[in-house]
This record gives sequence, C-alpha cells and structure tokens, in this order.
Amino acid sequence: MKLVTWSLATFHATTFVLAIVLFAYSGGGLGGALSGLNTFVGLGLFVALWATTYFTTSKALAGLDLIGSVRDREGYVRRTLRWGSRNGMAFLAILGIVALFAAVSNTRPGQVASGILFPALFVAPIALVVSAAVGGAVGVIFGFIDLALFGLAGLGGTDSEPTV
Amino acid sequence: MELDPHLLHVAIRWVHVAAMATAFGGAVSVLALAIRPGSLAAGAVVGVALRYEWIFWAAAGVLAMTGIGNLAAFGADLSGPSTPWGATLVLKLGSVLALVVFSLPRTLAVARLSGSTGAIATVVVTRLRNLYAATTGALAVILGLAVWLAHG
Repeated sequence: MKLVTWSLATFHATTFVLAIVLFAYSGGGLGGALSGLNTFVGLGLFVALWATTYFTTSKALAGLDLIGSVRDREGYVRRTLRWGSRNGMAFLAILGIVALFAAVSNTRPGQVASGILFPALFVAPIALVVSAAVGGAVGVIFGFIDLALFGLAGLGGTDSEPTV
Repeated sequence: MELDPHLLHVAIRWVHVAAMATAFGGAVSVLALAIRPGSLAAGAVVGVALRYEWIFWAAAGVLAMTGIGNLAAFGADLSGPSTPWGATLVLKLGSVLALVVFSLPRTLAVARLSGSTGAIATVVVTRLRNLYAATTGALAVILGLAVWLAHG
C-alpha cells in the first residue's frame, strides 16, 4: 500500500460523501433520508464506497509515479474516466445486492420472483449504465481537482526526483 | 437479540471523538516537533510527518463515516439549515470539506520530501511547521464548532 494511493482514495471517498451531505442538508432533505437508513447499513455502505474507491484508485495509479513525473500525472487524468466508471458500477453492485437481500427478506416467498427478481433483472442493466456514466463523470472531475492540488503541492510543470 | 440504538449511537460518537483526538493530537505532535526539533535531524521530523499522514487519512475517513452516523441519530428531528444550530453545522461541514481538500497537497508535499535523496535542509522543517500549523488551526476551529454543536 502506498501513501499517495491511500490519501487519494480516502480524499475521493470522503469529499464525495461530504459534498453530498452538505448539499442535501442545505436543501433540507438530509434528516428524512438518514432517518430511513439503518445505522449498520449506512456505515457498511461508506466502508464499501471507501473500499471500491481504494481498489479503483490503486488500479488507476498502477505503474505511475505521480510525485516524480509530469507525464504520469497527465496519464493518471486520462485513466480517471475508465476507473471512475468502474468504481460507480462496483459500488452500485454492492448497493444492489444489499437492496435485493433487504427486499427479498421483506417479501412473501411466493412473490419474490415476480415482485423482486424479475423487475431487478430489467432495472440492473440500466442502473449499471447510469452508474458507469455518473462514476466516470465524478472520476474525471476528481482527476482535474487532483491535478490542481498536485500543483498546489509544488508538483508543477517539470519532472522532480523519483520517489519511493 | 436487538442492539440498543442508544448504545450504538454512543459507540459511534465515541469512535468519532477518538478519530478527532487522533487527527488533532497527531497534528499538534508533528507541529511541536517541527517548531522545536531539538536534536532530531530534519529527516526524522519528515519521518514522523509521513507516519502521521497515514493516520490522518484513516481518521478522516472514520470521521466522515461516523459523523454521518451522528447526524442519522437525530433522524427527522434534525434542525434545519436556517436555524443557528443548522448554520453552524453547515459551517462545520464546509470546514471539514476544506480541511480534507487542502490536506491532500500537504500529504503530497510530505511524500515528496520523504522521497528526496540527500540531506533534508532546515528550510524543509520550516515548511512542515507552516503546513502543520495550518492543519492544527483548522482542526481546532472544527473542534470548537463540534463542541458548540454538542452543547449549543
């Protein structure tokens, strides 16, 4: 595990969630949304987002030296679309499995196939495409924010010394 | 057996406070080392800062996760953003967001310093002092807002 990967992944996950919470709270809809969420499910979903973001960030950074190479930093931004969309799909898959289990456990056995599984089969591909698009867009936005913050850290135009 | 919701929320609050204590206490420690390094070489201060950065990001994730858990404990009784409590919460959330955003350049700067070859100059310790003074100040403001929200 590398510090740059760990810090970038946690930065992405926490900033994303904090921005949503701040936006939802300012709009007045946060209390109602959180009151309908089981505490363990809420904590579990954050850990899931953190884990998928760590995995996809480490894949996006594979073989790149963000500290030492300008070319690698540019290459990283190009990868954010692909790995952002994969992160979106991975998180949606976890969210979908949790929702499916919750729905099945609250439905009469005779209605599970027609009321839950069959509609889920139709909704899943559309949801995956939407999550890939949203994840990709968020990934690209974070790629540019990261690039600006690299500049703020003094990692500007020229290549610096390679790092461990 | 069903878990007592009150007990669960106390546990989440405890983890939230512990994570904040870790982030704040660690920033104060690195700042103290950077202000008065004593017999420590500049490289040793960078080494401590590097370890702190790992812990800081773990604490940041735990703080975000448990902070939302704390808000969920209010449920539908959560005060609106137009109330004084709500305005302070918006200020706190904004401050946390700003701290997280501006902590990334600090981490990258420390990572770069740790990878530098050769002796680390004294000017680097001054830079670290400035970075951790800003971090400590921001965490102190957030802590003050959190205390006000808890007792205000």
